[in-house]
Amino acid sequence: MFIEYTWLVPLVPMICFLLIGLIGRKTPEKGGYFAIAGALISFVIAALISYEYLTGDTYPNPVVESIQWFVIPGSTDFVINLGYYVDGLTCLMMLFASFISTLIFIYSIGYMGDQGERKNRYYAEVSLFLTGMLGLVVSSNFLEMFIFWEVMGLCSYLLIGFWSFRHPEGDAASANAASAAKKAFLVTRLGDVCLMAGLFILLGEFHSLDYSTLFDPANIAAVDSDMLTLAMFLIFGGVIGKSAQFPLHDWLPDAMAGPTTVSSLIHAATMVKAGVYLVARGYPLFIQNAEVMLFVGVIGGVTAFIAATMALNNMNIKKVLAYSTISQLGYMILALGAGGYLVALGMGMEGAEGAALITAGSAGMVAGCFHMMNHAFFKALLFMCSGSVIHAVGTEDMREMGGLGKHMKITSLTMLIGSLSIAGFPFFSGFWSKDLVLEIAMEAGHDGTVWFTVMWILAIITAFMTAFYMFRMWFMTFMGEEGHATQHCHGESPKTMTFPLIVLAVLAFGSGFLILFGLDAMVSFTVTPDAFIVGGGEAGGFHHFEHIFTSPYTYLTIVLALVGIGIAYLMYAKKTMNPGAFNKDGESWLYKALTKRWWFPDLYNQISWKLGYGVARGVNFIDRQIVDGTVNGLSGAVVGGGDALSKVQSGHVQDYSSIVLLGISVISVLFIVIAKVMGGI
Amino acid sequence: MDIPILSLLIVVPLIGAIATLFMGGEKQKYAKVVAGVFSAITLVLALLVLFADDMGALAESYAWIQTSAIAISFTLAVDGLSVLMVFLTALLVLLVVILSAEEEDRPNYFHALLLAMEVGLMGVYMAADYFLFYVMWEVTLIPMYFMISWYGGPRRHYAAIKFFIYTHVASLVMLIGIFAMAFEAAQITGTGVVDFAFSVINPAIAGASEMFQVLVFALLFFGFAVKMPVVPFHTWLPDAHTEAPTGGSVLLAGVMLKMGSYGIIRICLEALPLGAEYWQWVVIAIALLSIVYGAYGCIAQTDLKKMVAFSSISHMGMVMLGIGCLSEAGVTFAIFQMFAHGLITAILFMVCGMTGHKVGTREIPLLGGLAGRMPMYALFMMIGFMASLGLPGLVGFWGEFPVIFAFYEFVIANDALWLILFCLLSLMLTAGYYLWAMQRTLFGPETTKIDLTHAHDVSKTEGIALAVLVVLVAFFGVWPDAALSFIEPYVSALANMGVVI
Repeated sequence: MFIEYTWLVPLVPMICFLLIGLIGRKTPEKGGYFAIAGALISFVIAALISYEYLTGDTYPNPVVESIQWFVIPGSTDFVINLGYYVDGLTCLMMLFASFISTLIFIYSIGYMGDQGERKNRYYAEVSLFLTGMLGLVVSSNFLEMFIFWEVMGLCSYLLIGFWSFRHPEGDAASANAASAAKKAFLVTRLGDVCLMAGLFILLGEFHSLDYSTLFDPANIAAVDSDMLTLAMFLIFGGVIGKSAQFPLHDWLPDAMAGPTTVSSLIHAATMVKAGVYLVARGYPLFIQNAEVMLFVGVIGGVTAFIAATMALNNMNIKKVLAYSTISQLGYMILALGAGGYLVALGMGMEGAEGAALITAGSAGMVAGCFHMMNHAFFKALLFMCSGSVIHAVGTEDMREMGGLGKHMKITSLTMLIGSLSIAGFPFFSGFWSKDLVLEIAMEAGHDGTVWFTVMWILAIITAFMTAFYMFRMWFMTFMGEEGHATQHCHGESPKTMTFPLIVLAVLAFGSGFLILFGLDAMVSFTVTPDAFIVGGGEAGGFHHFEHIFTSPYTYLTIVLALVGIGIAYLMYAKKTMNPGAFNKDGESWLYKALTKRWWFPDLYNQISWKLGYGVARGVNFIDRQIVDGTVNGLSGAVVGGGDALSKVQSGHVQDYSSIVLLGISVISVLFIVIAKVMGGI
Repeated sequence: MDIPILSLLIVVPLIGAIATLFMGGEKQKYAKVVAGVFSAITLVLALLVLFADDMGALAESYAWIQTSAIAISFTLAVDGLSVLMVFLTALLVLLVVILSAEEEDRPNYFHALLLAMEVGLMGVYMAADYFLFYVMWEVTLIPMYFMISWYGGPRRHYAAIKFFIYTHVASLVMLIGIFAMAFEAAQITGTGVVDFAFSVINPAIAGASEMFQVLVFALLFFGFAVKMPVVPFHTWLPDAHTEAPTGGSVLLAGVMLKMGSYGIIRICLEALPLGAEYWQWVVIAIALLSIVYGAYGCIAQTDLKKMVAFSSISHMGMVMLGIGCLSEAGVTFAIFQMFAHGLITAILFMVCGMTGHKVGTREIPLLGGLAGRMPMYALFMMIGFMASLGLPGLVGFWGEFPVIFAFYEFVIANDALWLILFCLLSLMLTAGYYLWAMQRTLFGPETTKIDLTHAHDVSKTEGIALAVLVVLVAFFGVWPDAALSFIEPYVSALANMGVVI
C-alpha cells in the first residue's frame, strides 16, 4: 500500500525546493525547517516502503510501475517511460540518503546559522539536490536516472560555488570557489558525455531504456555484444566522472571550497555514490563482458591507491577527507569490478564450476553496496566533525589546530569513532565492509586474473595508508600542543550540530552489524537463466562473522591498520618520530609530487587550455580574418577601392543597391551556366 | 469556424503597426500600451489556433493576382510544423513589448517595427503559396534593418547593411529557385498557368527530374541556410546581434533564424525530397561544421551577446543535423529544437542584452562578481545558460539528446560512427563556454574595472517577461510531449509521403 507512492519520495523535496524558492525570500529563517521536514517525510515514506517491500511476499521483485512519457519516432518507436523501480538496492539507497540528509539539514541549522539571507538559497539548493538523489535511486529507466544525475550535478555546481561571490574571507576565496565549481561541473560533464553516448547505444540496441527490458537475459542475448561492451565502457565513463575515479578524480578535492555540510552530503555521503550505484544497478549489463569488469576493477583499485597517497601529506582537514572519500569510492568500485569479473567468467562456463564462480562473484555486489552504506555514515560523520572544528576555530589548516580535544569533547570523540571506523579497526563498521572488499579482490585474483591480485596488494597498502592519514589528521587536530587557531576556539558547537554527530557516531560504529541481520540478502545478486535478481537472496548472518575471523588475511589488515595508527601516534601525538626524516623536510620528489597532486591539475589545465581556448582563438582568427575578410574584400572589390568598409559603414542603402544588383546578376548568370551545363530544366 | 483567425493573425499586428507608427509627439508614451494590446490579441489568436480541434480546417485562401498566365493567391494554413512557430512569434513579440516598456528613444517607431516584423513572421510561417511566402520573407527584412540601424549600438550601420545584403542576396537566390519551381510545375501540369500555390506546385514537382530537384534544392537551401545561419555564411549574425537592440535580438534569434530551418523543412523537404537525398551528406557536413565551429567561436568571444550569437549558430546547426538525418526522429526533434532554442535564446538575449543597460558594458573581461549585486539577473542568466547547455529537465535537453540519437542511428546505418564525436565534442564545449562565462561574469571578486554604483537588478517588467519564459522552459522540459504532440502528426505525414524514413 505504500509502495504505490514511491514517486512521492523524490517529489516531497521537490515541493520543498519550490516552496523555499518561491516564498522563502520573505522568511529566510524558515527555509531550514521546510528542508528538514521534506527530508524527514521522504525518509519516513522510504522507511515504510522498505518495510513493506522487505517483509511482504505480495510484491514481485522488482516492483516496477511506469507511464509513457514520450516517444522518439522510428521504424519501431522508441518509447521513453517515466516510473519507479523498487528492489533491495533501491531501498538501501533511499533509506540512507534520506536519513543522512535529514541529519545534515538539522546540522545546517547551526552550521549555516550566520549566513543571513543566503540560507534561503542554501536550503532551496540542498532540497533540489535531495530530489535529484532520491529520484536517481527510484528511477525506472536510464534516461530518467540520467536526468536526476544531472540535476545533482547542477546542485553540486551551485553549492560548491555557494561562496563564489562575496565570500566572507575575501576575493581570493570567491575566485577559488567559482573556479572549483566550474571545474567540478566540467570534469563530471566529460564523464556525462560518455554516459550519454553509452545511452545512445543502449537505446539504439534495445529500443528502450527501461531497466526491466534491459536486464532481461533474452533481450541481452539478442543484441550485438560488441556494441554492448562499448556502451558499458562509455557508461562507466560517467561513473568515473561522477564518483571521482582516476583519472577524473581531481575535481573532488577542489570541491571542498563549498560549505562543509555540502561536502558531507554531496561529496561524501550521497552524490558521489551515484556512480557506484549506477554500476550496481547496471550489473546485469556490466557482467556481460569480463574485460569491462576488469577495467572497472582496475580503475577502482588504482583510484583507491592514488587518492590515498595524496592524503598522506595534506595539511587541509577537508582535503584529507576528500582524498579519503575518493579512495573509499575506489574500494567500492574495486569490489564491484572484482565480483563482476568472477560472475562474467562464471557465465561463460558451463556446469558447477561456472555456478560456483557466479556465487563467489556475487559477493562483490554485497561488499560494494555494504561499504557504500557504511562509508556514507562514517564519512558524513567525519565531514561534519571537521565542520564542527572549522566552525569553532575558523580555519581548515591542521597546522593551526592541535590540542582541540580538551575544548571540543563531543566532536573529538565522535571523530575518533569515525576515524576508527574508516581505518578498519575491528568491530567498527568500516572493518566489516573493507574486509569483504579485500576478500573479493583476492578471490578474483585467485580464480580470475593476476591483475586483481595486484589490485588486492594496492588495496592492502591503501588500508595501511588510510589508517595512517586518518590518525595523522585526528592527532594533529585534537592532540598535541595548542595551535594558534585553537586559542580562539569558541568551544563545543551548538546542540543542533552535536546531536547529528552523536547519531551518526552510533551508526558509524554499529552499521557494520547490520550484515548479521540480513543486509546482505537485501543487495544480493542472483543469476538465473531467465532473470538477474537483486535482493531476496539468502542471508549469511553469523557465517560472515565466522568467515572473517578464520581468514588469516583479516589479521593482516588489522595489523596494518594498527601499525598505521601507531606510526601516526608516534609522529603527531608523541612526536618521537620526525616525519621530516622521511621526506627530507619536504624536499623529496615524492613529497613534491604529492603536494602537486601528481600534477593532475596542471594536466587538466594544459589540456583544457590547449584544446579549448587555443583552438577557439584559431577559429576566431579564421572567422574574423578569412571568412569575414573574404566577405568584406568581395564587397570592396565590387564597389571598387579598399575603402569599401568605411563606405559600408556610411549606411546608405542606395549606395549598396548596386552590390545587390550585381550580386543577383552574377548569381543568375552562374545559375544559367550551371543549368545549361548539366542539361536540366 | 467563421472567424478567419489566420488572416487576423496577420491583420491585427498590421493594424497595430500602423497605429503605433502615427503616434508621434505627445502620444509616444502610449505606443507601448497600444503595441501591448495588439500583440496580446495576436497571442490570444495564436493560442486559439494552438488549441483548435482541427487545425487543417482553419486554412484560408483568397485570390490575389489572377491572370491567364499567372495565379497568386493569399493562402494561409497551419499544421504541426508552423503552429509552434506561430505561437512562439506571438509570445516573443508580446514579451519584447513588455521587456521594452522602458524604451524611450522614439518608442512609437520601435513598436511599429516590432509589429511589422510580426506581420512578416506570421506570414512566412502560415503562407501556403510560394509567392506569398517570398513576399512575407522580404517583409521581415525591412523592419529588422531599421531596427538595427536606428536603435543599435555604435557600429549599427555596418551591421545593418551587412545583415541586409547577406539575407537579401540569399533571398534572391531563393526567389530564382521559387520561379524555377513554378515554371517547371506549370510545364508539367500543362495548364499554361503559373500557379504559385503549394498545393499546385508540390505534387507537380514530385514528377520533375532528379536533376531539377537537385539544382533547385541547392538554390533554396542556400537561401535558407544563410538565414539560419550556417558556417561559412554566418558572419552577418554576430555583428547584427552585437549591434541590435535587445528586443530586436530576441526576435532575430528567437524566431527569425527559424525561418531558415522552417523553409528547409517546408519547401526543400516537402517539395524536393530527391534533392534532399542527393545533398544529404553535404547538409550533414555543414551541420557538423556549424555545431563545432559555432561552439569554438563562443569560447573566444569577449562580448557576452556575441558569445550567445555564436551559440545560436551552434544550436541551429543541431537543427540542421536533425533535418540532415532525414529520419522521422531527426526531423521531429529538429523541429522541437527550433522551438526549444526559440524559448531559450530569448532568455539569453534578454539577459545578455540587459547587461549593457544595467552595468554599462557587455565585455566579459570587464565584468565579475555581479551575482552579489544583481541576484535576479544572475538567476535568470544561470537558468538560461543551463537550459542552453542542455541540462536535462529543461527544454534544451530534448532538442539535443534525441537529435544526436537520431544522428547516431544514421551513422550506425552508414558505418560512420566516428562522426558522432563531433556532437559529443560540442556538448563538452557548450558546457565549457557557458560555465566559463558565468565564472567570469557572475562569480568571483566583484569587478573594479567599471563603476558599479549605478548597476541595478532586473526590473519588474523585465522580470515578468523572463519569468514567463522560464516557466515555459521548465514546463516543456518536464513534459516535452506537450510540444511533440503537435510535431509528430506532421512528421508522420512526411514519413507517409516518403520524404523521411
